[in-house]
Amino acid sequence: MMRRLAPLLVVASAALGSYYATLAATPYALMRLAEAKLTKTAPVNHFTHTPPVRADRQFVVRPSPDLLYSVCPYDLSAGPLEVTAVPVPGRYSSISVFDARTDNAFVRNDEEMAGKPMRVVLALEGQAVPAGAETVRVRYPTGIVLQRVLLADPSEAAAVDPIRRKAQCRTLAQ
Amino acid sequence: MKTVFTWLGLIVLGLALGIGLAVWQIRSSGLGNDVRVGPWSTGRDVGTANADIKTRAIVALRGLLALPAREARYFTAATDSAGAPLSGKCRYALSGGAIEARWWSVTLYDRGGWLIANRWNRHSVGSARIPAGETDKWTVLIGPDEQPGLWIPTGGDGPFELTLRAYRPQGLMARDPARISLPTITRRECRP
Repeated sequence: MMRRLAPLLVVASAALGSYYATLAATPYALMRLAEAKLTKTAPVNHFTHTPPVRADRQFVVRPSPDLLYSVCPYDLSAGPLEVTAVPVPGRYSSISVFDARTDNAFVRNDEEMAGKPMRVVLALEGQAVPAGAETVRVRYPTGIVLQRVLLADPSEAAAVDPIRRKAQCRTLAQ
Repeated sequence: MKTVFTWLGLIVLGLALGIGLAVWQIRSSGLGNDVRVGPWSTGRDVGTANADIKTRAIVALRGLLALPAREARYFTAATDSAGAPLSGKCRYALSGGAIEARWWSVTLYDRGGWLIANRWNRHSVGSARIPAGETDKWTVLIGPDEQPGLWIPTGGDGPFELTLRAYRPQGLMARDPARISLPTITRRECRP
């Protein structure tokens, strides 16, 4: 009986293992692809303020044409990353951080900023951070910081642009 | 030697089956499938560390950098309210009421999640465009040709899908999206 079932068990075990391995590896692989695509035009540890999304200008899958994006692909290998931004008055804006597994590690929107500038430091476990700094500890050295600003109409982009450009990413010396 | 190759063949077959099933599930799923409201579906744990392994893989492919539910809910629809696949050859009426969120928008994508080029450079309608007085009952037309009022071009004859984003969800939209009402998608005429 076992001799007959053995081939089936081997196929089932291999299938189960590869099924879960594929699901587990997919987020890391797609995030790496996105980071590689972004870093062709957006330097690591700096914000790049992309123009309004169009069909011929999509940096990531399912972009919203109602949002103005700024992207900062990060690498914490050389030290923690300081992220600063200001809310854009009268409209939705947010700063979010996505780690190498695609998990959202941090998000803060304009309502939570309450009209004030925000500053947060991304750091790996064990990295020293400035005293008193709001710190987000992440498990992986790479990821993406994203700023979103709502555009009720594409013509608003020019007025919003100078404010969103105040957002900055920079590596802090260790 | 023959026995070794037989076992290796079985292992390769199993690996191929597992990988194939995973790829098929990731590619054929909506942006989270654990909440369904009419033709719309969403996931409860999108973007969070609580997401299960399958949700995380699906979101990575179909909605990378999606925010967690407390910040935004994302619903996708690939069929109309009668269950027929959305086609770029057809006209549709997207009709809805108030949506409990700070702002919302509906965007049209191809089945891979990419914007479809069209000569109007128009891909979405947001809540800011709904005239005051119509926020409780509004209609957006979708079709291959220019429509009066609020409309989104399909940009071609191929299949498409819609994504409804609700930023800063409130009320039931935030607490229990399975109990909310979302816009209906009604097919009108189709061209040959």
